[in-house]
Amino acid sequence: MSDFIAFATEHLPTILSALPITLGMWVLAIVIGAGLGLLLATGRLYGGRITYALATTYVEVFRGTPMLVQMFFIYFGLPEIGIVLDPFTAAVIAIGLNSAAYQAEYFRGAVRSIPQGQMVAARAIGMTRLQALRNVLLPQALRRVIPQWSNEAILELKYTSIAYAIGVSEMTSKAEQIGYKTFHFFEVFLLVAIVYVVLTGIVAQLLHVLERRTSIPGVNR
Amino acid sequence: MLLDVKDIHKKYGEIEVLKGVSLTLARGETKVIMGPSGTGKSTLLRCINRLSPPTSGEVFLDGELICDANINEMRQKVAFVFQDFNLFLHLSALDNVAMGPMRLKGMKRAEARELAMQELERVGMQTHAASYPAQLSGGQQQRVSIARALAMKPEVILFDEPTSALDPELTGEVVTVMQKLASDGITMLVVSHEIGFARRAADAIIFMEGGHVIEEGPPEQIIGAPRQDRTREFLNVIAEEGQIS
Repeated sequence: MSDFIAFATEHLPTILSALPITLGMWVLAIVIGAGLGLLLATGRLYGGRITYALATTYVEVFRGTPMLVQMFFIYFGLPEIGIVLDPFTAAVIAIGLNSAAYQAEYFRGAVRSIPQGQMVAARAIGMTRLQALRNVLLPQALRRVIPQWSNEAILELKYTSIAYAIGVSEMTSKAEQIGYKTFHFFEVFLLVAIVYVVLTGIVAQLLHVLERRTSIPGVNR
Repeated sequence: MLLDVKDIHKKYGEIEVLKGVSLTLARGETKVIMGPSGTGKSTLLRCINRLSPPTSGEVFLDGELICDANINEMRQKVAFVFQDFNLFLHLSALDNVAMGPMRLKGMKRAEARELAMQELERVGMQTHAASYPAQLSGGQQQRVSIARALAMKPEVILFDEPTSALDPELTGEVVTVMQKLASDGITMLVVSHEIGFARRAADAIIFMEGGHVIEEGPPEQIIGAPRQDRTREFLNVIAEEGQIS
């Protein structure tokens, strides 16, 4: 145990030096995923036939293929048609596009769970569908979606480790380097696992606080 | 005529729910629509503000045709009060009322809230301004929803069975508010079986059955001496159910 503590003290700073990369990828990806996910959800909820079909195809394609394949496609495949991205950008786009498909489904489910009378009442005072969505449905749906969204956020945080495969020097790749240098693979991956669990724990806790803070008085969930 | 409803038909598939309904409402008038359930009363109200557009027929507000092209603007003038209130669940009573003026009439938040407070006072809900819908009784929610309608300064308010989702002891507070609005000169078209309200506040009762208007007349005549047998039978049923107050 004291060996592990000594190991951790020595190598933790190296792992944490990649924390900004890991967190940066995560935040950018989740923001891309939320923005695009919201558009996709709106398209599937209220779009015409073509919009609906496009949004649905997007969701099915990105949910139906492995994240690693998507990332390889963007990083190794796109240069063949002239789109060359650095590893960090490619990873952010891959994780963001993938997350959008899942977030779209969470948003869509949450909007559909709002009682129909809310939309009808908003339309009845003269709101357009988009005004009703923005002022009445989304404020309620976004509150409801927090628990699922929290899962997605944690998943994406862990997915940033896949960016190792295209050479982003994030935390997992740092751990691997330390492993090859010291041959203490057991200790180093245990250490990086602990870092991930602390991070995801913090994220879960923050979102839980957000959920409580934004809960609607009188409504028990 | 402020509201002129002309020959409204409404079909759902093969079933014709409204078979040519016409009625008029002058400014300041209150009319109550009665009739057995399944007669198309609620459908008629929804056809008027196109929450459920009619299959054929026209509705004019102050001489202007209500159609898809002007519907959002028209709905600001033709307010709707629902049977099940439909208050915005994430907003306080005050913000429920302030929402329309703020988002649709471009009022500043402070100004909209001031107006909302006045409308809440009008329905006796000012002390509950900060409460959320889930914290209010049905009667209180309905009064807030009436305030929400009033805040848009509409030309006419359509009430779709505003007391039928309420426990009997809660209908009184809503009926009292509606009577006050009628005497304040608010133009109202009310689908309701509250005969007491009709007697005290309505300028006319419209009796509907089977998608038609069967008869229309002043409350004392319709209640006291209906011309049509169907109207009399229906009023007897209502009386047996103890709804005459």
